Amino acid sequence: MKSIYRKWGTTLRWENGAQIRVTESGVAVEDGALFECYPEAEGEGHRNSDDANLNTIAEAVRTAAHGLTIERLILTCGFAEHECNGVRWSEQTRRLHLALTRNHLRVLVDTASFDMAEIERIADALRRAADTEQSPPPRLRLAPNVTAALLPLLPGLAPPNVTLLQTAGGLDGRGMPIVEAASGWPNWYRPSYRVRPVRAPLNLRLECEVTVIDAGRPVAVALLAPVRGLLFRALVDDGVRAWPAAVRLTRIDAVAAERIWYPYGAGSFGAEMML
Amino acid sequence: MTRFTVATREELWLDGRLVERRLSHGQAVEQGGAIVATDARDDALVAACHGAMDELRGLVLPGTRMRLIAEATPDGVTRTITVTIGGHSVVTSPAFLREDVELLRAVTGRKVRPVTADERSLPLLWKNGTAAVLLHEAAGHPLEHAHDALDLPPWLIVDIPLEPRRATFRDVPLLRMRHVHARQVDAPFVPPDDRVEVLLIEGGAYEPLTGSVTVRVAAADRVSGTDAQPLEPFELTWSRDALIFTGAAGDPVRYPGVVCSREGQELVVPSFAPLVLTESR
Repeated sequence: MKSIYRKWGTTLRWENGAQIRVTESGVAVEDGALFECYPEAEGEGHRNSDDANLNTIAEAVRTAAHGLTIERLILTCGFAEHECNGVRWSEQTRRLHLALTRNHLRVLVDTASFDMAEIERIADALRRAADTEQSPPPRLRLAPNVTAALLPLLPGLAPPNVTLLQTAGGLDGRGMPIVEAASGWPNWYRPSYRVRPVRAPLNLRLECEVTVIDAGRPVAVALLAPVRGLLFRALVDDGVRAWPAAVRLTRIDAVAAERIWYPYGAGSFGAEMML
Repeated sequence: MTRFTVATREELWLDGRLVERRLSHGQAVEQGGAIVATDARDDALVAACHGAMDELRGLVLPGTRMRLIAEATPDGVTRTITVTIGGHSVVTSPAFLREDVELLRAVTGRKVRPVTADERSLPLLWKNGTAAVLLHEAAGHPLEHAHDALDLPPWLIVDIPLEPRRATFRDVPLLRMRHVHARQVDAPFVPPDDRVEVLLIEGGAYEPLTGSVTVRVAAADRVSGTDAQPLEPFELTWSRDALIFTGAAGDPVRYPGVVCSREGQELVVPSFAPLVLTESR
């Protein structure tokens, strides 16, 4: 059966000092094994991208990162309308990608908001960080931004005392309702009209019977490298000292109930976690 | 005001069967430090892409994965083919497709074994132009980051011009390598009896914070005297200060395609290097 998807959108991007506004519309057709996509003359007027002043946001990041080097800062806000097989929906997006460095350390920040509090907390830890890698403490908290990056790797690997779930809500890349799911991944991820949609777990969250977090434990505040497996590098902060550490996710003691959505994988809800 | 206009046609063929087909076109107008990009269509560029794709389609080979890309700008039309056989890939063009597929077939399906820790520190003989990839990572990317130039022997002359380039009309142009062209002048060497011969590269990286260089070797031989044993793919990482270029021979050889990814923008960087011998401190 032929599936036809259309997208119209405008994105405003601030990329390391350059500002670019991209307006485009396109069609993707899946016909049996063949996927085809092409631009389509705009049928309707685009709504403006949101009114975030990216120069102001970039300046706020610079202020938060004082004393550190901003290796990469990409801010994006966009508005898109989608239509697939007769279903129509829209979305507003904000993305922040930041790589902050000090000496040989680089922290990575990816968020779906322009909230500076998280960046200030990470920058503060990086300014205090030792250069040399040390062992992580035996009891460790993970910040929501760290947890969120781990969840897309957890299907099939999550410890038995936690449950990894796709979170219901919204529509997927084929205009179908995103349903609650723990396996089988019935929904479709389509990050661009140029990409063939694939089945994937969307908007993952982790649940644990224990939700109480010991706020006194040191916390892994940020990733020092992209997560490739259950052994990952993070910046650990005990409130006084901060240091780089290789952390292995083997046991999860608790997962907080409060969650924040992050743009990892096909969407991931980060929650504070206790190892 | 500057204007960049482009049209791109791309097709993916699996074992002689078309599975994906994409058309992209647009323009970016830069004025006063801001870029406005739209998917505006230039009919002449799109027609040029279609014509080039018709030629590329005639080159599709059974038993391969082939990505065909025809890209047209006011400066001309480029034709790029990525061929994958047995997990190994090259990036080539119609003129070199036959010989590059021969190279791929030569390193595919061999009986391989893992590289040992000791073998990782053996001298490396970079064949088939693969030294261009090492120089891309160790000399080219540091230039892009305005880092100190790589310390090279006087007999190894490396030309790596930088220029603003962008992958699509949606991208911000960055200072990137136009090509890597290395040549040698009177640098004879005797290949050591014990060495690793690098035949094909899968990828590489430069870490600007530490100055370390990583090369992922896709195909290599462990050579001991007259005995050659094919090795499994492996990865090597050095501080770029630890690389020692000990000799080179022959004319520059075209390495079959380097697709360089930086800031998410993938660009082909034509790469040439002679046979090069390196050691590490």
